[in-house]
Amino acid sequence: MEQQQVPTLAIIFLSKDLEKLHAGSLVGSVAAMSGMKVRMFVTMNALEAFLKENVEKQNFQTGTVGAEMLNKNIPLFPDLIKEGKENGDLHLYGCSMAMDVMGWKQGDLIDLFDDVIGVSSFLGMAQGAQVITM
Amino acid sequence: MSEVDVKKSIDARGSFCPGPLMELIKAVKHAQVGDVIEVLSSDTGSAKDIPEWVKKMGHELVYCQEAGDHWKIAVRKAR
Repeated sequence: MEQQQVPTLAIIFLSKDLEKLHAGSLVGSVAAMSGMKVRMFVTMNALEAFLKENVEKQNFQTGTVGAEMLNKNIPLFPDLIKEGKENGDLHLYGCSMAMDVMGWKQGDLIDLFDDVIGVSSFLGMAQGAQVITM
Repeated sequence: MSEVDVKKSIDARGSFCPGPLMELIKAVKHAQVGDVIEVLSSDTGSAKDIPEWVKKMGHELVYCQEAGDHWKIAVRKAR
């Protein structure tokens, strides 16, 4: 009962395009800070953008807007997710399948991940939620 | 505009959406009910979006006005 009273947003990141990562993180963080429960699942190529080395070097795939965001040095998706986590109910998960395929460990990812999980766990979290796929 | 007792003013000029909104959310969270928080923003999107957020969250928009090259937006925490 109680679970249904808080609207839940599930955001699935598939792409490593900076614009998609940014848009999903922006919506999710503001939603969490506005009282929604937000669960983010990062899988496939999107995981690559969350690797520590890529975040440190700002090594991202961009289009026109993404390039200008880097140019203007605006806070990027890791900053947005951090804000959401600090000021709301936002959890970030990595996909165990893609991690296994690539041989990546949770420690290779930026320190914002709550856990690395499989599809069944995520489906449980996403049940009854609004789902956004980026 | 009558005198408003602004409890806290946040200068978020130069920050793009959702920066000013996020700063406001944090300030409202730590404020007491009835407090007025003001945000200065040079971001056009925020001037439209912050009032929407205020409405959605059930707070009160005290003012949202242009002041030269930026906007002044004030919100009273209602709950």
